[in-house]
This record gives sequence, C-alpha cells and structure tokens, in this order.
Amino acid sequence: MSDENNIEPKVNHEKKYSIFQIAINLTVACFISGAIIAATYFITAPVAVKSAAKIKNDAMKSLVSDAQKFNPVKNKADWFTAEKDGKIIAYVVPAESKGYGGEIKMLVSVTPKGKIIDYDILVSKETPGLGDNASKKTFESQFEGKTAADLVVVKDATKVNNIQAMTGATISSKAVTKGIKEAALQVSQFVGGK
Amino acid sequence: MRELWNIFKKGIIVENPIFVLALSLCPALAVTSSAINSLTMGLAVMFVITANNIIVSITRKVVNPKVRVPVYITSIATIVTVVQLVLQAYLPVLYKALGIYLALIVVFAIILARAEVFASKNKVTPSLFDGLGMGCGFALALVSIGIIRELLGTGAIFGIKVLGSWYNPALIMILPAGAFILIGYMVAGFKMWTDHMEKVKLERGEL
Repeated sequence: MSDENNIEPKVNHEKKYSIFQIAINLTVACFISGAIIAATYFITAPVAVKSAAKIKNDAMKSLVSDAQKFNPVKNKADWFTAEKDGKIIAYVVPAESKGYGGEIKMLVSVTPKGKIIDYDILVSKETPGLGDNASKKTFESQFEGKTAADLVVVKDATKVNNIQAMTGATISSKAVTKGIKEAALQVSQFVGGK
Repeated sequence: MRELWNIFKKGIIVENPIFVLALSLCPALAVTSSAINSLTMGLAVMFVITANNIIVSITRKVVNPKVRVPVYITSIATIVTVVQLVLQAYLPVLYKALGIYLALIVVFAIILARAEVFASKNKVTPSLFDGLGMGCGFALALVSIGIIRELLGTGAIFGIKVLGSWYNPALIMILPAGAFILIGYMVAGFKMWTDHMEKVKLERGEL
C-alpha cells in the first residue's frame, strides 16, 4: 500500500501536463474544427443544392440531346420523361450498382421501346485510370441502341452485339452494365404496364 | 530570402517526398495512371500541405505535444472538408473530377510528416515555403510518373496521342504492377543522380 503511494506522486511529477489539460487541448481543437466545418457547410449547403440541381439538368440534356423539356414521372421518384413536340422520346431514370470501389450511381436514358440512348455516371469510386474509364466515350458508345438482352459483358472482340469489358476493369464493366440493364428492364416494364 | 529559397528547393530534389523520403508512395502508385490525374492530385496535395503547415505553425505554441498528432490530423481533415464543401458548392465540375482524391488526402503521410518535422518547430513563413516546396516536389514526382506511365501504357500524354498506331501500348504500365516497377527504377535513377552530384560537389570542394 505504501509502495503505491510512493510511486504515484512520482509519476505525476514527471508529467508536465495533467490528463485533463491534454484532453481539453484535443477537445478544443476538435471543437474549433467542428465549428469551422459547420460554418462552411451553413454557407455552402444551399449553393451546393442549387448547383447539384443544375448539374442534373445539364446531365439530362446531354443524355437526350433532342429533348425540349423534361417532366417528372408520377409515382416514380427521380424518373423523368424527355419530350419533343409533345411526344415522349425517352425516359431518364436513375440506376444503381455496386462496383469495384463501392456504389455507382448513374443516370440512364432509354427510349420507350427499351433501347439505351446514353448514360452518365454521377457518383463512383472506381479505380482512376481503369474502372473510371466507364465514363469515357470508348466504353460508353457501346451501349447506344442496345436493348437489355444485349447487355452482357464479354471479353471477346468478335461479339459486337455485347459489351466489351474495359481492360483491367472487368468488375467495373459488369457493374455499370448491370445497372443500365436493370434500368432498361424497369423502363420496359413501366411502358408495357401503362 | 536565400534561406527561404533553400527551404523551398530542398523539397523538390534533395528531400523529394516520393523519390527520396519515400513518403506517400500509395497515391503515387494509385492515381498516376494518367498525367492529368497526377497533376490534379499533385496540386490538391500542394494546397493542403501548405495550408496545413501554416495552421500547424501558427498553433504550435498552444498545441500540447502529447496530443499533437491527433490535432494535426484534425487540422488536415478540417482543411480537406472545407475545400470539399466549397468546391461542391462553387465548382461542382472540379469537385466531380477530384472526387475520390480529396478524401484520400487526409491520410497522406507526407502532410503529417511535414507538420511534425518542420511546421511544428518553425515560424509561419519558413513553414509556408516548406509546404510549397514539398508540394511542388510531390506534384512534379507524380506528374513525371504519370507522364511515363501514360506514354508507355496508352501512347498518349495528357490524353493527346503522341505515339502513332505502330505503338502497341504496354497495358501493364497503367496497371498497379507497372507503377511499382517504374517507381523502383525512378527511385534508383534519382539516387544515382544525387550520388553523382554529391561526388561532383565533393571533388570541386577538394580542388
């Protein structure tokens, strides 16, 4: 008992700061950084929402270039119809898939007959230089005009009707294709059920 | 002034973060598959390392040495988050392009290393130049790796084709394995060059 009493003050004496002071120091640092982030968020959040909406509109325009206006579809969250001269020429629907680096979020434009027009990757964490090539024209252009049945990833250059996997990124290729295929099927189902 | 220039200069060659200090090799392998990716990452790191050096240097007297590392990490994370929020709001296109890189910067060894080794012991101005120099060295190293990998792996530089159709791209160069091989050779080459320079200096000194 007496030994312990002897050791304790010795240890305390060696420490220049008490544990409380150290903890307070870190707490204050975290508090300040939290306050800075909160203040920044408070200012930027409304602007971010606006620019996200603008980007989405631009993305839809680039997906269906002939469209004159986009209308939200009833009962389907985030679905839009692209209209030209009062006729529906395409559906713009969100698609999701799990890739190599996690979730991939896309926007896919599909004709009412179920043919893919184009797609745009909104959020992805695929490997730079490999999987993220999915947003480049060489891979993207393969999808145009294809129906859900054609959307199979192959590594055989002779199968022109299917999707050629990106080199070194088979998982990303499959993930993107799967997401688009599901979107196309959903549109066919929606149009057929109408 | 001369002193500040020396502080700046050492980050580029004598203490190059990638080739000499061998810090933050992970991003040097991961994001250098194209020159433009390397440049974006290099510039982003340069900004964060400089900003963090300044903050660490300003607060160096109030931060308790026992908790300095968590405080530095908090500081880096705050800078990165603020940059992320601002970019998301005002430059969404750039934010989309930087996407995954920004969040990665928080854990870069080189940024913490500069805070610990330099900024926590020096005044604000030298710390600023140290950050700029280290950032420059990092960016230059990344870009040179990126250019070589892109050239050998796709026959292009910054997305512009420079080698004709006769060139059959060596795919391994844009895959991670190629990065390992290339960085190995580059570190060796850098070492040979600095050794040679030292020898030359020594001979001159003796003469």
